[in-house]
Amino acid sequence: MAFDELAGRALDTAVKQGAEYADVRFELVRSERIETRNAVVATLADATSCGYGMRALVRGAWGFAASSDLTPEGMDRTAARAVEMAKAAAIIARTPLGASPPRSYVDTFVTPMERDPVDVSLGERVALLLEAEKALHVAPEVRVGRAWIDLWRTDKTFFSTIGSRIEQSIRQTGGGIEALAVGEGDVQTRTFPGDIGLYKSGGWEIIEEAALAQNAQRIGEEAVALLSAPQCPSGTRDIILGGSQVSLQIHESCGHPAELDRVMGWEANFSGVSFLELSQLDTLRYGSDIVTIRIDNTLPQGMATVGYDDEGTKSGVSDIIRNGLLVGYEMSNDTARAIGRESNACVRAHSWEFVPMIRMCNLNLLPGNVPFDGLFEDVRDGIYMESNRSWSIDDHRLNFQFGCEIGWEIKDGKRGRMLKNPTYAGMTPQFWNSCDAIADESSWIAWGTPNCGKGEPMQTGRTAQCASPARFRNVQVGVGYGG
Amino acid sequence: MDSAQRQALAERVLALSSADQTEVTVSRENAELTRFTHQDIHQNVSRTDVGVSVRAIVGQRTGAAGTNLLDDKSLQATVARAIEMAKLAPEDPGIAPLPAGGPASAPPGAYVRATADASPELRAQMCDAIFKVAEKDRFWCAGFVRTQSSGYTVANSAGARASFDGTDSGVNVKMNAADSTGYGQWYVNDVSQLDAHGIAEVAAAKARNSADPRGVDPGDWTVIMEPAAFGEFFAYLGQHFSAQSFDEGSSFLSDGLDKRYFGENVTIVDDYANPLAPSMPFDFEGQPKQRVTLVEDGVAKTVVTDSYWGKKLGRENTGHALPAPNAYGPQAIDLAISPGSKSLEQLISETKRGLLISRFWYIRTVDQKKAIVTGMTRDGTFLIENGKVGHGVRNMRFNQSILGALSECEFSNQPKRTGDYWFSLVVPAAKIAKFSFTSGTQF
Repeated sequence: MAFDELAGRALDTAVKQGAEYADVRFELVRSERIETRNAVVATLADATSCGYGMRALVRGAWGFAASSDLTPEGMDRTAARAVEMAKAAAIIARTPLGASPPRSYVDTFVTPMERDPVDVSLGERVALLLEAEKALHVAPEVRVGRAWIDLWRTDKTFFSTIGSRIEQSIRQTGGGIEALAVGEGDVQTRTFPGDIGLYKSGGWEIIEEAALAQNAQRIGEEAVALLSAPQCPSGTRDIILGGSQVSLQIHESCGHPAELDRVMGWEANFSGVSFLELSQLDTLRYGSDIVTIRIDNTLPQGMATVGYDDEGTKSGVSDIIRNGLLVGYEMSNDTARAIGRESNACVRAHSWEFVPMIRMCNLNLLPGNVPFDGLFEDVRDGIYMESNRSWSIDDHRLNFQFGCEIGWEIKDGKRGRMLKNPTYAGMTPQFWNSCDAIADESSWIAWGTPNCGKGEPMQTGRTAQCASPARFRNVQVGVGYGG
Repeated sequence: MDSAQRQALAERVLALSSADQTEVTVSRENAELTRFTHQDIHQNVSRTDVGVSVRAIVGQRTGAAGTNLLDDKSLQATVARAIEMAKLAPEDPGIAPLPAGGPASAPPGAYVRATADASPELRAQMCDAIFKVAEKDRFWCAGFVRTQSSGYTVANSAGARASFDGTDSGVNVKMNAADSTGYGQWYVNDVSQLDAHGIAEVAAAKARNSADPRGVDPGDWTVIMEPAAFGEFFAYLGQHFSAQSFDEGSSFLSDGLDKRYFGENVTIVDDYANPLAPSMPFDFEGQPKQRVTLVEDGVAKTVVTDSYWGKKLGRENTGHALPAPNAYGPQAIDLAISPGSKSLEQLISETKRGLLISRFWYIRTVDQKKAIVTGMTRDGTFLIENGKVGHGVRNMRFNQSILGALSECEFSNQPKRTGDYWFSLVVPAAKIAKFSFTSGTQF
């Protein structure tokens, strides 16, 4: 669909109604989900959603209105509503928060992919999931087997009153498997890959890389074995986290606290504030010297890779943590201007219905120089944990407690017996400062998170935290079960 | 789009289908939210949408498709896509016929025109009232005022016809002082009942009274949770009442119904007509919702079902389907705990030493079967000593079984609607005899 004419009308209407700046983002979104569950297709759904979201700026106050009414009259109504929302905010404004973006672009972006999922028949997709799901059922204890694929196609065009016209075709794909095993008074789950599946930008090649069917039997067997595995002990241990768990650790303890809107109190009533206060910038020793966490929204296959964010800012690369030091934030135009910087294109809206807001996008822990097996070598008494099962962190992002699906004892450098219900806890800066080894690039994966909740109304963001496994010293483990 | 227009659209789409069975739903949403921080509105958003979903059943195969493009061509394509997907799906021998529906009347107060018509100026005025409370104390505040109206219509080939319009509104305020915070919330179908100033005063008092918070040792504490906190905690029990999790073994109820799991004063119902949270009288399949007593005097009585799980378990369809298709099964989404006989003040006055909790944050399940959850306190935690609320306490992390907590507890006599979830909760304040904290944080 070409939206140029409608966009021109909407922007003109907004200006006539009093907007000093306006932009409009049209999106046509196609979402397909297939989920098999115990040999039946529990979900086989295909949804199309088309609409537009419009921002208007009046005396430094923003208004936003979104609608699926694509008639010219509908465009007028929505534009007028966006301006009305801005004016209502301006009436009681104490401080002007908003300003027009500094730059405009005319460009296009298309997600690179090797194989378009539409070229894979629906029958083939369903057959793959049924095969993988069947292989999970290795024993009667596996009461539930699940396998799923998500395909998202978003075609969006952004127009603004300062001359931007940015057309983007974004393709994101993911899938996974899960076995739920039930024993005497116990339930254990195993998921693969990671704890939510493998999600990236790209096409069918992501599903092929996930190798669901090839790993299903092992995952089913591990779920059953966990039922009779010993409980993770309580105490202080060295731990090694699998790559997907490191990804979650980045997401929760670096990605969210480094959102500048959160730092500035814009999320205070809901998801909270941040211990990464502005006074800590360029001074806080967030992690050890080997910890560098980088935004790269141009990364091939990164779940959040786009050409431009939803304010029309061009994607790029910037650091949040450099060799352990806090050096940056995830920023929008308005928040960046407030601290004398420029946006690093970290603004996204879940869909046309939602106002763009700061998101962590692709936030990556740079790989180290140790082979994965090398992480174990000088651990005398430790635990290796994989695949997140529960996650909780305080509203300043300091005190955290995470649980994993599966663990293994490490004794004298060797991986030993399986442990159930592994958990670990700590305070964010102390934890990252205890990181003394990160596995090398050969185990570095662009782990995507397709379900990050933030904002009011709640938006679901699709982020990535690329990571390889890492080692942390002297961590509290076995929390929540009392041994 | 009003109810009559949605019904006409649903009939039009239903007529397009050649599937053996077809279900059409039409939903509309008009939602506006004014969000503020530091006494300024930083997000002022409005959205409106109408969507159509089609579930097609061909033999024992099901497919679904949805769109918000309402022209004839798009609707025809959506129906054809649902049928195409159904034909490609494997047979499900457990599939149930679509329900025929039945009479289902909206409870009083579910739809309030004043809420549906609320303007950005009205919400801004309410925000300004909150700002003035913050400025009086030299605090800064963050929160929102929201108003919304939504409609849902179901029509299927088995004859079910159901339509509902509802409204909702809410105020959420966090007051921020130098080293303390306080919280207040209020959710109600009628925006004219919202007292933004009053809620701001509650939040400000909590921030004021918890200034200079002190650390206390983790361990087992007697706690009194105000409704906002108790609702957040109790919400994690909701999924256990699903027939699906019951049958598959992941619910604590999988150990058997008609057993005592809670104290004798615990009665839990699912009731769409609760006067504090009146909601849709039928489920997303068009089946009238039943008022279901899930737990009575501490004894688990039943689980909720939909057409699929009712048939599978040989139980009655209680009308608790989520939108199809989904992998979650039926859910109890209008939960309430029966109140007790004492006031919150009396519960406090009878507590020798304990903690008063205003709000929890980031609760997550640690152990599904044992219903162990972890989370943090936030925005107003206080020490209770000798029946009186004392100084503020720095926030702490808990790890606690919900079943254990509700085995020895008391409830206040004033239930409230809590939270801002996709489901509804009505709970009183709760006094829990033994609640396990495992660590603290720095604020």
